[in-house]
Amino acid sequence: MSKRKELEAKLIARLRDDVVCVEKTDPRTIFIDVKRAGIREASKIITTAGARYLCSVGYDNIERDGTLGMIHTFALDDSDQFVCCRTSAPVGDPVIESITPDLPSAGWSEREVTDLLGLRFAGHPKPKKLVLADDWPDGIYPLRKDVPHNFVPKGAEDVAYELDEAPPGTKIVPVGPFHPSLHEPEHFAVYVDGETIKGCDYRGFMTHRGIEKLCTTQISYNEVPFIAERICGICGSVHATAFSQAVESAAGLIIPRRAEFIRTMMLEFERIHSNLLWLGVAGHLIGFDTVFMQAWRVREQIMWLCERLTGNRKTYGMILVGGVRRDITPEIADDIRRVMKNIEDDLTIIHRAIEKDTSIHKRTKGVGTITKQQALDWSLVGPVARARGVDIDARRDHPYAAYDEMKFEVPVLDSCDVWATLVIRVVETFEAIKIVRQCLDKMPGGEFFVEMKDKIPAQRHAITVVEAPRGESVHYVITGEDNRPERWRVRAPTFPNLQAVPLMLLDEQFGDFPIIMGSIDPCFSCTDRVAVVDLQTGQSSSITKAELDALSRRAQSPSHSLQTMLRG
Amino acid sequence: MWLTSKIKQILMVMKPGVVTLDYPNERPPVPENLRGQPVFDHQKCIGCGGCSDHCPARCILVRDVCQELRVMLYDGGRCTYCGRCADICPEKAITMSNSFEIACDQKEDITTRMELFMMTCQRCGRCYEMEKTNAIDRINLKGFRYDNLEQRALIRKTSETFDPALLKESDNYQRPSDK
Repeated sequence: MSKRKELEAKLIARLRDDVVCVEKTDPRTIFIDVKRAGIREASKIITTAGARYLCSVGYDNIERDGTLGMIHTFALDDSDQFVCCRTSAPVGDPVIESITPDLPSAGWSEREVTDLLGLRFAGHPKPKKLVLADDWPDGIYPLRKDVPHNFVPKGAEDVAYELDEAPPGTKIVPVGPFHPSLHEPEHFAVYVDGETIKGCDYRGFMTHRGIEKLCTTQISYNEVPFIAERICGICGSVHATAFSQAVESAAGLIIPRRAEFIRTMMLEFERIHSNLLWLGVAGHLIGFDTVFMQAWRVREQIMWLCERLTGNRKTYGMILVGGVRRDITPEIADDIRRVMKNIEDDLTIIHRAIEKDTSIHKRTKGVGTITKQQALDWSLVGPVARARGVDIDARRDHPYAAYDEMKFEVPVLDSCDVWATLVIRVVETFEAIKIVRQCLDKMPGGEFFVEMKDKIPAQRHAITVVEAPRGESVHYVITGEDNRPERWRVRAPTFPNLQAVPLMLLDEQFGDFPIIMGSIDPCFSCTDRVAVVDLQTGQSSSITKAELDALSRRAQSPSHSLQTMLRG
Repeated sequence: MWLTSKIKQILMVMKPGVVTLDYPNERPPVPENLRGQPVFDHQKCIGCGGCSDHCPARCILVRDVCQELRVMLYDGGRCTYCGRCADICPEKAITMSNSFEIACDQKEDITTRMELFMMTCQRCGRCYEMEKTNAIDRINLKGFRYDNLEQRALIRKTSETFDPALLKESDNYQRPSDK
């Protein structure tokens, strides 16, 4: 019995009339429509059938039937299928039962939908603001169609995010919003007992740029890849490819095989550069700047190669809906082979020099541990999950572009710490070089771009996943009128991984905070001002720069330094 | 183990030596197909506005001053150098040059303004033939288009330091509920 029939039978047996329909059109994606009363039960049935939770998508359907839509998406990794469970709630009574109590990683997706569309979730354990600014006025939901894309509300003073209650006996160390150990503005309140971390609360989304809104109101299909590329400075091609694949899948557009090969190559170039970048940053975060310098020296060659190939070091601008923009000529193919050889040689030297270095082992082994079960519960993705023994890789499980023809290993380790992440990312770089070589060898001839001849029909849904260097990106597209998507949801790999950071930090040393944060690759570096709140007395004091300097100079006995400071 | 690792690391650092380029004293050659500053050829441009429709950064603006005069304005301050305009242009009037050292303190230095004298069709009042196979019609999808240069004022302004005057201006932005 196929997975679809099995699921349908189970759903109908348990939910009866609440199941509206199970679509049979698309072989790869199973769309299930349920009434809102049955959504939590349906998601439970889907996860017990072996599906892994991806993300949730909310959309505005007010003009059509006066409802707000909600889609929970899941992946069936062993049968290469996706399950999209759709439901809706009338705009007058926008409440749906939350699935977060069953699936903790749905927490952020649901909070995001509450912020942007005004759909509320009954039974959500932490219904706080996530995406919107603290002073954003109530009752205005920016993703609804009646709010213009350039709407700027009045700012307000004295509105602040209320942090979680700190565990008793701990003190709060705020890290961020602007903090040298964070490469982007975001705020962590770390609850510490001495030097040991006992919990943390996160307030981020300070660089929320409204890209999804912009792309669904202002520009047309083939301009979106260029903006998608700017979602992330590191994995730009990933987002452009994922968006293009989603639109192609919705439109039924078949792109030339050569274009798929070139896309695969671009994705692998990006993986090589990103893994080398991360290796450097990880070295820098543990104070081993030799690794940083050498990894980035090796990485520079791939930046120059991409500049010759695409016309830019980053934001390649190679991918369009319908194919790619530039071809791989025989001259550039020789160039690629030469650069791959150099990178392989140089990386082998770095790998040998650091693999047995005890100072790296001491800083990374046994740090940031969570168990395999926890990684599964929080649906972690990418190298962070593979370092915890979770054997998932979208390139192998849900092959896209030309990955079905590629032969490569997916490294999985089970030591559950930062060291395993580091090893996996180095091994993956070697695998990426292998894939690039296979692409060059097997590349078929022919066209590399096909034009969209017909209008793309509105109201088609499509989901794609692409394995970015740091994990799997999920894109969900609903096509619309006016030659642009009606809803486009991007779930970057950091979205699920960051939600599990409080768990990774639990009972670790505060000094390991940068490398644990860095291990999921969101970007992080060190200190300009630490404010300390004493919970017992309620007094708050700030450490000045001079005091902090003195503190770090006295750090001979690190486990006492902060405590003495706090007492004094 | 620690010592052998350190020896290997010394060799790893010694072999490549100094790799930093002595820029700007020494300028490595620019790759041939670099996507640098776009150059507009007013001799070839037919004023179809395809580039304006398809600019992801919306930095090419079109305005019809009167029936005979069309102004095309390229605002380099917002350009992302994606080269989409050069791809789209049916007359190849836009080329991506390989000049990239274009930082400047006057915004006008990287702005291109073209005033095109348009011929009007006697029958339809537009300036090009209206056949269905026309390349201009095919690219004329419903993308973004500024017909009004004044609309640029809607792009939110920022200032280096806190400016009460700018904050005051933002009071006039309309909320959807006030419409």
